[in-house]
Amino acid sequence: MSDSRPELVVDGFPKRRPRWIELATSADHKDTGRILITGALGFLFIALVELLLMRLQLAIPENKFLTPVAFNRMLSLYGGTAIFFFALPLAIGLAYYVAPLQIGARGTALPRLGQIGVALWVLGAAVIYAGFMFTPSEAGANPLSPLSGLAFLSSNGVDAWATGVGMATLGFVLISIDLVTTVRNMRAPGMAWRRTPIFAWGATVGSWLMLVIGPVLLAALTMLMIDRNYDGIFFADGSGGAPLLWQHLSWIFFSGAYMLILIFAFGAIAEIVTAFSGKPLFNRSVVMASMGALAVLGTLAWMQNMLTAPIGIGWMYFAMLMSLALIVPFGLIVFNLIATMIGGVLQMRAPMLFAVGAISLISIGLAAELQQSLVAAAWDIKNTTDSTAATHFALVGGAVFGGFAALHYWFPKMTGRTMGEVLARFSFWTMLVGVLVTFVPMALAGYNEGQVIDAYKFYANAGVSAYNLIATIGAFGLAAGIVMTIVNAIQSRVGGPEAGHDPWGGDTLEWLTLSPPDPHNFDVLPDVRSERPMRDIRDAIANRTASAELPVRESQPVV
Amino acid sequence: MAPHSPATDQIDTLLWVGFVAAAILVVAINVALIYAIRRYRGERGAAPRQVSGGRRLQFRVAAALTVFAAVVFVLGIVFTDRAQEAPATGPAGLVSETGEPLEIEATGQQWLWRYNYPNGAFSYYQLVVPVDTMVDLKLVSTDVIHNWNVPDLAGKHEAVPGKVNHVVFRAEEEGSFTGDAATLSGQGYAAMRTEVKVVSPEEYEAFIEQQKTDIETAQERVVGMIENGEVP
Repeated sequence: MSDSRPELVVDGFPKRRPRWIELATSADHKDTGRILITGALGFLFIALVELLLMRLQLAIPENKFLTPVAFNRMLSLYGGTAIFFFALPLAIGLAYYVAPLQIGARGTALPRLGQIGVALWVLGAAVIYAGFMFTPSEAGANPLSPLSGLAFLSSNGVDAWATGVGMATLGFVLISIDLVTTVRNMRAPGMAWRRTPIFAWGATVGSWLMLVIGPVLLAALTMLMIDRNYDGIFFADGSGGAPLLWQHLSWIFFSGAYMLILIFAFGAIAEIVTAFSGKPLFNRSVVMASMGALAVLGTLAWMQNMLTAPIGIGWMYFAMLMSLALIVPFGLIVFNLIATMIGGVLQMRAPMLFAVGAISLISIGLAAELQQSLVAAAWDIKNTTDSTAATHFALVGGAVFGGFAALHYWFPKMTGRTMGEVLARFSFWTMLVGVLVTFVPMALAGYNEGQVIDAYKFYANAGVSAYNLIATIGAFGLAAGIVMTIVNAIQSRVGGPEAGHDPWGGDTLEWLTLSPPDPHNFDVLPDVRSERPMRDIRDAIANRTASAELPVRESQPVV
Repeated sequence: MAPHSPATDQIDTLLWVGFVAAAILVVAINVALIYAIRRYRGERGAAPRQVSGGRRLQFRVAAALTVFAAVVFVLGIVFTDRAQEAPATGPAGLVSETGEPLEIEATGQQWLWRYNYPNGAFSYYQLVVPVDTMVDLKLVSTDVIHNWNVPDLAGKHEAVPGKVNHVVFRAEEEGSFTGDAATLSGQGYAAMRTEVKVVSPEEYEAFIEQQKTDIETAQERVVGMIENGEVP
């Protein structure tokens, strides 16, 4: 493939300023998306370091490697980083880059919102890590009130955490407004909702979800800041406040964010599975509807996290009902993904490997969550390391495996180069073994011995020493696998094999653009006649080539 | 967890129900995935048939999943209801004249549990209860949220400031059961443990009397020391 097409007269305008200034001041959705994706991978590395420090502390009983305070700080930073600075920005960044290309848009509807959004996200990251300059938060991954109140944690760490996370969330909300508007208004001619690419649809559902849950967290964080800094009483007991209010508001956000990550992941996985099976998505409309159902039911199941709190048995049954109802849309999505593979011609390239790994891990995670949502069973296994393991199976499956699947799949579009296949395979298998060796023993420690969540130490007579040692070893394996992919991405950005514009034979319109795409994305836009516009284009070209009477050169015998 | 009370028996059963349901899902999905990959892997030249869906098949799968979820939901309610049933005091237990359960208040405070018994006695860390007796543990907190968790005797429940939560249980045999607090409560969280000592009713009453006398003696001594000017 050549770098530019012959009909293109101008290759691009000369850049006036250094590349990083262009990137920082650009309102192009591709530049914004790249900042989010690159930043998210960086924060994945930082989250891994925090996770490993905690796992080292938990390697042997009554370890003195980290003080309780240091452990709680790592826990708080890890929770904030993994969700707000890795999983959500990776999902939203990929969607912000790819979805406008998929729907054949020459940009986004409200690009300045995306630009402000990513700026807020970067500032939020700076604020939460500036906490290191004084004292980071010690309130845990979800800073429950009243522990996060001024009376119990008087350092500014909780303020930094809340401000950083709040800025990031506000950024996500702004980007989501742009995504929703873009997909709503700027789809190519003929692209009805039913023909919208499944990842762009997932991005729309996920963005709507962020518009619902983002403000809830922002409200809760604002109340927390008022409580801490202006003598507020929102979360104080007595005098009209309620500590449980924080739990309700924060869990609405976290449950929704959990689903949001899975919805984006399923969108990417569905694109990859169809492309690498050579078949259309099985029961496409059902998958689309199921994604919506995940968003609604998953968020309504927020009280699944509060089954040990004094909320009344009726609410617990409601949470259980919503959690179990998730089985239906989740099962339908997975069934249709597998049905897409069946009868196809599967090419097990790196994106497909990661996609299949993601489906498998998400299935383990959600099945474990099923057990966690049975009310009386939850009274035993909630707040144990079994809960930690369940969440990590689903979210490492969705955000890391799903995210890496999407990264390998769209990397050629973003850079023009393919990620190294050998290193990708090594990375995949190391990560898969690492995840199982880390989180299976962790689940067993919680399930069999009731090891409690978030604790900085355990005792030798608790019967969990072996589980924890194995989990620590596994965590290093997982980290090694993840680092391999990050290294692979850095290397392949300049040194990877040239990919061309349509390396996978995908069905959607992003493969019509150049790799990497021009600032305006598309020179020409086709009329969309089905949900597989690129396939239609390829077929049309093939038909025309077949029917045309091309001059045939007579072969000359070599004398 | 090794169940030692009627409620934990039910919890144990429900855990098994959940485990079986989870295992069915995990095995079904992963076996299908592996089958699909092994069977349809590779390039065989011929383009695959472009099948894009079957409404009847989809309807059946949806119905099967709905029934599955509904069955698990009903079982969840049945066993949770049973786990919640107030376990009446048995013949070997401490029989009260009114038939009321033995009410004990458990106060979570950073990072220790304090137990207030009905007649003014109290203890820290160790809760002593009579065997075969319905105990109503009132969970309250004076500072942050704590989670009372002795898995062998009862489910875990949160002690939230400004709210009262209840754990009702009946220990079926004498012995000592330990548990760790299960909601992050600050620096000393991992050391916030508790022990429930289940004893015969006679031993329980003796313990309460002893505890009361000890507390009164200690208080008198402190008051005496203050009066003598030994404590400023």
